[in-house]
Amino acid sequence: MLKMNRFQQIAALLAAICIGMIFLWRPTAIVYGVQRAGLYAAVALPMALVLGIVHIVNLAHGEIMMVGAYSTYFLSRTFGIDPYLALIPTVLVLYVIGVAIYKSTISRSVTGSELSQLILTFGIAMVLSQTMNLIATSQPRKLSLSYVSSSAQIGEISFGTYEFVFPVLAALMLIGMTYFLRKTKLGKAATAVGQNPRGSAVIGINVQRTYMIIFALSSALLGVVGSVFMTKMSIFPMVGGSYTMKSFCLVAMAGIGNLPMVVIGSLVLGIAESTIQAFPGGGGWSSLVFFVLIIAVILVRSFREKTV
Amino acid sequence: MRQSTTFKSTAGVLLVAIVAAVPLLLGPYAQSVARTILMYLILSVSWDMLVRSGQLSFGIAGFFGLGSYAAVLSAQYLNLPPILTILFAGIFVGLVAYLLGAVVLRLRGMYFAITTLALAEIFRIVIRNWENFTGGPTGTLLPKMAFNGDSVLTYLMMLFTAFIAVGFSLWFEHGKMHFAVTAIRDNEVVAKSCGIDIYRSLVIVFAVTSAIQGAVGGTYAQLYGFVTPESSFNVNYTLIPLAMTLLGGMYRTWGPVVGSIMLGLLGEYLKLFIPYGHLVIYGLIIVFVILFMPRGIVGLIQERFRKGGTL
Amino acid sequence: MKKVLRFLGVLVLMAVFTMSIFATGEAEGGEEPIKFGGVWPLGDITGDQGSKAAQIAIDEINAAGGLLGRPVELIVIDSELSPEKGAAAIERLATIEDVDFFVGGMSSGVHLGQIPTLKKYRKITMWTGAASHTVEEAMGPNQEWYFHLHPWDYNQGASYVEGWDAIAERYPEIKTDRWFLAYEEGPFGTASFAATKALFADREIYGEPFQSAAAGGGDYTAVLERAKELEPDVFIWAAWEADALPLMEQSKAIDFNPPLYVGAPPGWPADFGESPLAENVTLYGMWAPSLNNVIDNSKQFYDNYVTTYNEEPATYFAPLGYSAIYVIAEAVERAGTLDQEALIAELKKSKYQSPMGEIITFSPSNIISNQGIRKQKILQWQNGMQEVIWPFEYSTAEPVYPFKPWKER
Repeated sequence: MLKMNRFQQIAALLAAICIGMIFLWRPTAIVYGVQRAGLYAAVALPMALVLGIVHIVNLAHGEIMMVGAYSTYFLSRTFGIDPYLALIPTVLVLYVIGVAIYKSTISRSVTGSELSQLILTFGIAMVLSQTMNLIATSQPRKLSLSYVSSSAQIGEISFGTYEFVFPVLAALMLIGMTYFLRKTKLGKAATAVGQNPRGSAVIGINVQRTYMIIFALSSALLGVVGSVFMTKMSIFPMVGGSYTMKSFCLVAMAGIGNLPMVVIGSLVLGIAESTIQAFPGGGGWSSLVFFVLIIAVILVRSFREKTV
Repeated sequence: MRQSTTFKSTAGVLLVAIVAAVPLLLGPYAQSVARTILMYLILSVSWDMLVRSGQLSFGIAGFFGLGSYAAVLSAQYLNLPPILTILFAGIFVGLVAYLLGAVVLRLRGMYFAITTLALAEIFRIVIRNWENFTGGPTGTLLPKMAFNGDSVLTYLMMLFTAFIAVGFSLWFEHGKMHFAVTAIRDNEVVAKSCGIDIYRSLVIVFAVTSAIQGAVGGTYAQLYGFVTPESSFNVNYTLIPLAMTLLGGMYRTWGPVVGSIMLGLLGEYLKLFIPYGHLVIYGLIIVFVILFMPRGIVGLIQERFRKGGTL
Repeated sequence: MKKVLRFLGVLVLMAVFTMSIFATGEAEGGEEPIKFGGVWPLGDITGDQGSKAAQIAIDEINAAGGLLGRPVELIVIDSELSPEKGAAAIERLATIEDVDFFVGGMSSGVHLGQIPTLKKYRKITMWTGAASHTVEEAMGPNQEWYFHLHPWDYNQGASYVEGWDAIAERYPEIKTDRWFLAYEEGPFGTASFAATKALFADREIYGEPFQSAAAGGGDYTAVLERAKELEPDVFIWAAWEADALPLMEQSKAIDFNPPLYVGAPPGWPADFGESPLAENVTLYGMWAPSLNNVIDNSKQFYDNYVTTYNEEPATYFAPLGYSAIYVIAEAVERAGTLDQEALIAELKKSKYQSPMGEIITFSPSNIISNQGIRKQKILQWQNGMQEVIWPFEYSTAEPVYPFKPWKER
């Protein structure tokens, strides 16, 4: 199952050595790196799903997550329930919103080029974030939850443990998505549609309906991610934008359609970022590492594939 | 047949002359709006030029910001006069794009797009961190602005730059490059078999369009007199020209021109009548135009004319 | 032929539509109003509330009979947080709306874009924003028409030195020898750190940058760990509202308990006071609702704002916008004319009792001649409210020291 060629074996070994060294030097760098990687992966996986199957880049990705976050926030505050409980209605609401967005706009532009779909989602992103701005104002909000500050200790060092919820969420999503795509009827149909839309239509798969369901599912997943996000980070109407870009970069780095690679890529980036930050004065350079690594991986892959 | 073409070109030139002259009659506010529209027009047209060869760039803001900084820093350290800083910005960014392009233009589609986005961010972060040279996060001021900020002269400066960019684009559209570039976009394998050196063509197009974007960045610095990492590399400089080109119609010069004028005027207009919440309407309009005019406004007009016969 | 006519018709329609944006408005009969032109980022809460607060001032003046017997009017244009749109807004207000004064402002970056245009028209400007010293350099000396209300970054730093020296004197148990500044990597944080390092030169100052949650970051663990290692007497963070609560939560998670925990964002998130983690966080600010108990003007402004808009003023940009209108209005009344030279002379003599507590006066700062507010206040969250602990003449509570360790909360 885990067949790796020579190149991948060497890469994995090097990675393990690096991680070991970093852990000995500063264990929290690994801890925080994994936690952050979890957040990146959890946000990026729904985009990978949509990009791999529906083949559209959804620039409203981060904004949908933001809507999910606000939905859970308002439900929690109004009814005084825990966000993880408020998550459930949010997921349903976001599924419906996903269907609505898809049917009213994207499905009608399937005849257009991919680029016009991109700009379409850009327009949708603007509408979502600006409408939320009118409703909720730009002032950031955050619920205060006591469990968010839970911590543990290694020797003398205390570190936060709540953020492990992100890697767990990402792992669950990856397993769930892989199972869905490989074992369920709908998932297998979706995979077929993703690889060959015309062929799938020929054998009787309702391509449009599949697109809609996948988009809505991705939307619902973003509802989950947004709700968990809201427990740890402040939310404001523009919070989604940078996460759209980061997800886009991660998915491109992983290769379109390659879900496990999204998680691995996130791990590499998360650990690299937190390692750089562990150096004094490294804070300003960690985001640079993110983008350099992405370009490096994309280029290396293209050299290996010897494309035109 | 020949008569109708001459008629169309003269009518076209007249129209352009009238539209270009209008801001001169309407006062400094109109000129200010017009300068911004021209800036986005040039960015849109240059982006479209690259798209015609099938390559999608998300790095406009990167070259724009780089050009802005090149202009300000060349004025500061090399004491170049304002107009020369703009030229310097264009040439500098063109060179950078040429060198980078030689490496990254082997990529295609979304991978190329993401790489340009990542490059733009890298430019921004490096410039922000290099405090001693660039002034860091708080930015740098330009010692002396072009024409001392005179409204009419700076408008003419932007108009001139726009003419050059549009001229380039038209030449691209009708020259030998056009066929090479369209062939590449349609089918690279076939293009290659026809003897077109794809790589060389793409690198040249990339370098030229990036140089134009850098030069526009230089004009921005001259118009407003400052650069900061946050404002000069703002992602809107990438996204808005995309929207404008798509609204106007891709793969042709007049598409981005019409799109930038319409969307630019619309932005100002909406703001004055709906002070709180105009961006919601702006986004909705983008959605509607894409849905109902997938080939852009110019595409729609061309279709209508084709259906209705000639004049 | 019909096609051509239709096409031309559309063109004419578009031309009319375009002209309507640029046409000069005519005065609508009756008294010609005195016009204030305001440029704020209306999509951001600071600009939204600043413009609304200014409108309250305008309405109050009109209710009291206007200015010099004429009604006053505020025309607001959105800067959209963009330098070029901010500059275009100034152009429009100056030429088409023909305003008498400019007010507004928040972002330094946007203001940099507006400065060349402002210098072109040289109308009296009462600016409520822009703290960056780069803005002051761009404005330059001898611009007597320019009045800057908001303190510069180095003004703020200097007032904190004064504040902490005063507090250390009155409360000798409060130690302030070693500082750690966690600052966001943009212009705001960087300038704050630079100013702190320069002005607090007699104390030990350490600092580390991080990416603010407002810019897509939000991970403070590295910075907090370094701070914890250095064991500072005072920990300050200079970033944005979105960073406030997560910073506290992560500080608790790594058990970082500096004796003084200070936050210096320009505003606070909507529900910060409700969190148990907020207790005894010290903060820098210019105004807080608790001042209603101490300053009449503050209570009057606060009540008026809440009644009119059904929301609380969330940042100091609200009372600042309100003050900007009144400073000008009072000077106009004293001068009895709109003549610019006379007005500038009167403005320089202003002594306006603002809702923020200070009496606003103008004096030269490093480069410009008319700097208004220089002093910030030092406050502390107590029981969900921001209480003023310095300057002592406006204080509403005593400081609680040291910051209660997380384990004891």
